[in-house]
Amino acid sequence: MHLAAVDYMAVNGKSFLHKAGPHSKILMTLILIAGVLVADSLAKLGLIFLFAAVLILMSGADLKEIFHLVVYPAFFSMVFALISMQQSVITGAKVMLRAIDAAMAVILLITTTSYVDIFAVLSLFLPGVIVDIFIFTYRSLFILLEKLENLLKSIRLRGGYHPLRLAFNFKNTAGMIGVLIIHSFDMSDRLYRIYTLRGYSGRIPLTRKFKTGACDIVLVVMSVLLLTGVIIKWNI
Amino acid sequence: MSHIHLPDGIMPFAWWASAYIGCIAVLCIMLRLINKEEVRRKIPFTGVMAALMLISMSVPLGFIPVHMSLSVLNGILAGPALGFIAVFVVNIMLSLMGHGGISVAGLNTLLMGSEALIGYYVFTVLKRHMKPSLAAGISALAALVVSVALMLGVLAATIGVEEALPGHEQGEKGGGSNTVSFLSLSGWSAAAVILILGMLTEALVTGMIVSFFSRVRPDLIDAPAVFNNNRMG
Repeated sequence: MHLAAVDYMAVNGKSFLHKAGPHSKILMTLILIAGVLVADSLAKLGLIFLFAAVLILMSGADLKEIFHLVVYPAFFSMVFALISMQQSVITGAKVMLRAIDAAMAVILLITTTSYVDIFAVLSLFLPGVIVDIFIFTYRSLFILLEKLENLLKSIRLRGGYHPLRLAFNFKNTAGMIGVLIIHSFDMSDRLYRIYTLRGYSGRIPLTRKFKTGACDIVLVVMSVLLLTGVIIKWNI
Repeated sequence: MSHIHLPDGIMPFAWWASAYIGCIAVLCIMLRLINKEEVRRKIPFTGVMAALMLISMSVPLGFIPVHMSLSVLNGILAGPALGFIAVFVVNIMLSLMGHGGISVAGLNTLLMGSEALIGYYVFTVLKRHMKPSLAAGISALAALVVSVALMLGVLAATIGVEEALPGHEQGEKGGGSNTVSFLSLSGWSAAAVILILGMLTEALVTGMIVSFFSRVRPDLIDAPAVFNNNRMG
């Protein structure tokens, strides 16, 4: 999982994309995904790819990480691309490019916007319970990943893992997850108490006022223009 | 386990849009059923369970090309309503990391949410008659069989997965039993073996985790009212 790397890029980036508001970037992502869904030719999909790729380059993101993130959906789309290639190679290529384009649109969003800002926009539409669970999940994830890493290390050091003893490994893995859940339960109890002390009454306050600047307008206008270009049937 | 790793742009619009509508409808029902005051205390735990699901879904099971989701365990511990909401959160976060497209997050929530719901109710019934670990294992298996069947049904109906699997042409050419060996692991038979192994692994691990709880923290299993104090639980 590249969550830590993605989070680092989103929080520490200094490009104009990082300065743009989360609302405009989410809107742009949705417009790009809509473009991916309606694009009917390889050229149009290629144009969306180019648009997302240029913006990713301009954001100054770690290209190695971006490559890893793009490979995942590309790999899964390959199966369906191979099915479609029975009709024609172009259809197969379109399936694969669709998946890569959509993934790049999402990657552009998550590498330039922190998750908390994304949740803040989501909180405009989603009930408080769901938004709070989003925030607690995100907060717990890093703590649990660290705990898991330590547990895995200690299991290996104490001879609790053997490549050929499957049942033995399963038993120890189950015990490890069990310990992790018990830790998690205690942690969630502590989190609840801390939040209650700070005045938590069922909804974590998030900044819901988003400023719209020139960057935001440029991003949305550019993506709308791209979508228009994708929808129009060009007779060239 | 039944998480579909389909990127955006592959599943037809009608399917993923209807799945989103279904998912939102179930979420609305769940949010209406929970007692907001009582559930407030459980929100951090649900967040932590969702984080655990995210972690378990990123760990491959060695030679078996599937991953666990722990959604049945999540249903058992967080309760059906919060369990379903946790599954929704997990799927949105996974799609934001490129693990399955945003368009299929609704469908994935319905599939994995069915595991949490079925697992919780089967476990509630079975644990009165047998050891909690066995009840958890059986309920996980039952929930996984249903969700995997649903997943395969959806995949076959939308994108025709059978076309992709080797051995399909052999069957079509009328070779029948003369050409297709019973022992050859290809096409659907290979997929079936992988899925059965995956289901058994998740059921086994769920049972083992619950067995671990019975020994170390039996209150987590023996007093489910602590965790399921909403109206559905």
